[in-house]
Amino acid sequence: MPEALTGGGDTPATPGGGRPPAKAGENPGPGVPDAPPRVVAPLDSGAGTKPHPSETRALLVTALVLLAGVALGAAGFFVERGMSTWRPEVTRTASGWRVVQAHRASLGGMALGGDDLVWGCGPSIVLMDLGSGRLKLLGPGPESRTTWDPSASQRYVVWFEAAATSAGEASAWVYDSATRRRRLLATLGDVLSLPSASGSRAAWGTTTPGGGPGIVAVDIPTGEQTSVATEYGVPVIAGDLVTWPTRAGPTGMPAAWALVDLAQKRRWSMVPAATLTNARFLGYDLSGRTLVWGETDSASGRGRVVAQNVDDGVASVVAEVIDGASLSSAPSIDGDLVIWAETLATPSGSRVMGRRLGGGPAFVVHDVDGHVLSVAVDGDTVAWLARRGQTTSIETSQVPR
Amino acid sequence: MTAWTRRRTPLLGEFGMRVLFWLLVELWVLNVADLLLTRYSLSLGFATESNGVMDYFFKSGTVQAVAFKLGVVTVGTLLLWRVRRYRTALFAAVLLTGVFAAVVAYQALWVLSF
Repeated sequence: MPEALTGGGDTPATPGGGRPPAKAGENPGPGVPDAPPRVVAPLDSGAGTKPHPSETRALLVTALVLLAGVALGAAGFFVERGMSTWRPEVTRTASGWRVVQAHRASLGGMALGGDDLVWGCGPSIVLMDLGSGRLKLLGPGPESRTTWDPSASQRYVVWFEAAATSAGEASAWVYDSATRRRRLLATLGDVLSLPSASGSRAAWGTTTPGGGPGIVAVDIPTGEQTSVATEYGVPVIAGDLVTWPTRAGPTGMPAAWALVDLAQKRRWSMVPAATLTNARFLGYDLSGRTLVWGETDSASGRGRVVAQNVDDGVASVVAEVIDGASLSSAPSIDGDLVIWAETLATPSGSRVMGRRLGGGPAFVVHDVDGHVLSVAVDGDTVAWLARRGQTTSIETSQVPR
Repeated sequence: MTAWTRRRTPLLGEFGMRVLFWLLVELWVLNVADLLLTRYSLSLGFATESNGVMDYFFKSGTVQAVAFKLGVVTVGTLLLWRVRRYRTALFAAVLLTGVFAAVVAYQALWVLSF
């Protein structure tokens, strides 16, 4: 009977058969291959098989490392968020929102556009979604330190940024609320006016390549620029129409309005009507073909809001503020709704007023505890920026149709 | 000599290698997440790439940036797996995975809050 091959005739058989394991460093003997290296079990989970306990422990350890990293990142995010100085206190009110300055920097440069409320806070440009109250920091970008007050249309927010106020070169940025993206719109020279946005256009005053002042209009989607005029002006745009006051006197009251229709490439001027004697100019706004402005006469204690049609020049007095009350802000117009603010004769504060050009008397939009600095209207939404002591705040309210 | 080598470069056991393997898998996945979140944040126009090398590749094009970022981390993870017997590889993987997880968590929260 042939002897079973063992490979090592001098090695005694073990009780279970086969060879005993060689000790470390021991020669297994001639003709015996080295013991195979220990093989780590496959690292796949093995579909349908239960993972090895050490596999589960290994996954647990890696999950802990992952969790530690996630906790670190989340902590960094929330610490940074808590240290931000642009975040105000936001509360919902019965008629809208109340935004109160929470740090040293005052709120300013408020604008309304579509579902968004925008303002400046120090160098920060902040946007709030009026539906959710969610805040978004639009600017400045990492290379800028200075911003100018923003302007908003239904879809776009436009503002200027620069490395410094005196840099002599600024850039215009746009935020598109439809795509939630921010991008560079244009580079400009010196900032001679704030931007004004309407629809898909913006206009502003800046220095031209030749060094002189100029007014430009920009198509926001394409960035294409059109020279509106080669003169100094603080323009406001509404649709195809751009206007700016010219030949302002010492009180700021313009002697005329310059008007340019971008679609018809036509320029004309209009003399402001229904002006007060020694009127001090408060500011102006444009919607459709109607221009509105505010003026006060401190000698007579009167304030007036005037609306004037830019085509036929017909003017109407929207509001006359008398009896110790005073007009405290430039008016704002959207469609046929004109909004302004009055400081009351009593020390109880101010009130935001409204009137529809189509007819009907003026009405109180809201009483304000403090001094109203500016107002804005877009559709049925009214916003006002007010100061009380050292604190600034913005409130919004809905105007019934 | 052997004792000296072991003190200087302690070896990993089987369990350590399993941990290393899964850490490297996590690292690779986190790298892809970092790439996607960075690309999205840059496209929004609010973020800037602070890594000069990646900034160069993002400015060169998305394909170049993807190829570089995935390539570098893939090579890195393969190198770490190649030296898997050494405990240093595990330390490096723990550190890298933790940092990547922190960066991805920060970016994800930023995008969600936006």
